[in-house]
Amino acid sequence: METTTPPVLSPGRQTARRAPQVGKWLLTFVMTALGLLLLLPFVWMISTSFKTPLEVFEFPIQWIPEHPVFKHHANVWTGTGSFTLYYANSLKISIFSTLGAVTFAAFAAYGFSRVKFRGREPLFLLYLSMMMIPPQILFVPKFVLFNWMGIYNSHWALILPGMFTIFGVFLLRQFFITVPQEISEAAFVDGAGHFRIFARIILPLAKAPLATLTILDFSWHWNDYENALIFLVDKDLYTVPLGLQNFVLENSVDYNGMMAAATSAMIPMIVVFLAGQKFIIQGIASGAVKG
Amino acid sequence: MKKLRRTGIHDNHPVGYLFIAPSILGITLFYLVPALMSLVMMFTDYSFMSKGDIQFIGLDNFRRLAGDASFHNSVLMTLIFLLTVPVSLIVAFPIAYILNQSVYWTKLLRTLFFLPYIMNGVAIAFVWMLLFHPSMGPINGALKMIGIESPPGWLSGTDTAIYAVCIIQIWIMVGYNMIIYLASLQEVPKELLEAATIDGARLWHSIRYITVPLVSPTTFLLLITGFISAIKTFGIIQATTAGGPGEATNVLSLYIYKTAFRYYEMGYASAISWMLFAIVMLVMLLNWAGQRRWVHY
Repeated sequence: METTTPPVLSPGRQTARRAPQVGKWLLTFVMTALGLLLLLPFVWMISTSFKTPLEVFEFPIQWIPEHPVFKHHANVWTGTGSFTLYYANSLKISIFSTLGAVTFAAFAAYGFSRVKFRGREPLFLLYLSMMMIPPQILFVPKFVLFNWMGIYNSHWALILPGMFTIFGVFLLRQFFITVPQEISEAAFVDGAGHFRIFARIILPLAKAPLATLTILDFSWHWNDYENALIFLVDKDLYTVPLGLQNFVLENSVDYNGMMAAATSAMIPMIVVFLAGQKFIIQGIASGAVKG
Repeated sequence: MKKLRRTGIHDNHPVGYLFIAPSILGITLFYLVPALMSLVMMFTDYSFMSKGDIQFIGLDNFRRLAGDASFHNSVLMTLIFLLTVPVSLIVAFPIAYILNQSVYWTKLLRTLFFLPYIMNGVAIAFVWMLLFHPSMGPINGALKMIGIESPPGWLSGTDTAIYAVCIIQIWIMVGYNMIIYLASLQEVPKELLEAATIDGARLWHSIRYITVPLVSPTTFLLLITGFISAIKTFGIIQATTAGGPGEATNVLSLYIYKTAFRYYEMGYASAISWMLFAIVMLVMLLNWAGQRRWVHY
């Protein structure tokens, strides 16, 4: 590409230094305002969850309710259709799926990157190509298959397929191939086998990508709505998204309750995100930038 | 791929099959086998209601597609929904550009913009349903306040519902695209950008002729991955409108879901799902074909 880099800029830079700082603060202010504006739906949601039914649609909006009401939040967590059960179900599914997914993906990524065997490259390509198949193609045959396997309308219908992630294998493999081969060779000379090298050398080096995959995978399972909608029928199996949907169906005019339920559905993701922000952003950036 | 030294020990290690075995097994069972089943099912009249009596009907499902107005509508709605991809890129790029060099608190701001993306889609859907409430919602309240007598019905209007859904999708995706742009901008040599900001008069030119071409591979990638995921989007639409009012937001993924799991026409739904696959492929091909004009590697 043709870029004419201007000659050294240091003189101009000295004079320009003060002005950009004012400008920089101004832009910081504008962008913060824009960011907060983007988050107004969340603020509105939380605020509404503490209001009375009559105040829901008051306009202009009263962002901080005068007499905050806590009963909507209490309703979400107690009584019939309490979210406690949905939370337990979602946690169970997300934890088992994520554990399986990260374990199997680590093994497969090691095999595809650090063990030489016949047919490895074509197998890997075939494996990756499965990522191209849209989930919509798979739902109908999976429905038939799960009925036949006897896991339809059970948590296994989400956990078992959830234990396999093509993206995860890809992500970890990207990291594993950057570890110098000499490390493995030295271990070989010392008599270590592949399982030993995998467990003692490669995994400890891969803490960051493993954390990334764990967090991303967990959040996918936690937010998964489509699979739960298709494969779960009984109410006591519902996950948080289904429970939320059910709450809205059963209390269609209880807007405060709806917003309280929505708030509590978001809390775990906010916690996970704030705790693992670095890994999430890294993972998303590396997944997308490296394609 | 790094070339391995040819000492005997590196040539063929069958233990590798053990490492990949669980994953291969899982992917075979939950991806490959279902995909092959679907390929067969699309030529049948298989319905969950009529168990045990499955007929091969050749291309009948595809003939039916040709005359199915609901299907045509769902393709059109899907195409409209795809517009969210370029729009959210256009919104995201300036934000990323400014966050990359012209502000303090970059990390905090990055988090603010990114939050909608990681939130639970169903919860987001219900919040927006109330915000968009046609008669009492705060959005129309604000519109009325600035003098718009009859604001749109948003999600409950036949003509507006698809655009209301698009607005929600853009709101979700801007933060994601911004993060990727930011990562890509951070690899652009600082000197180039600094030179650009100092010489204010040519700021626009430096963006147009330096920054935009430099991040064009990222734009290309975001377009492709964005289109693919937009074609498959389900949750946010199902939870806000369930495809309605009427069929106003009945994009392909919802049409497939309804055909399969409301009407139990599994064979027909399989045929439609492969049409969705065909559209994914077509969009990718068009993008690949067009990339030479504007992507600079």
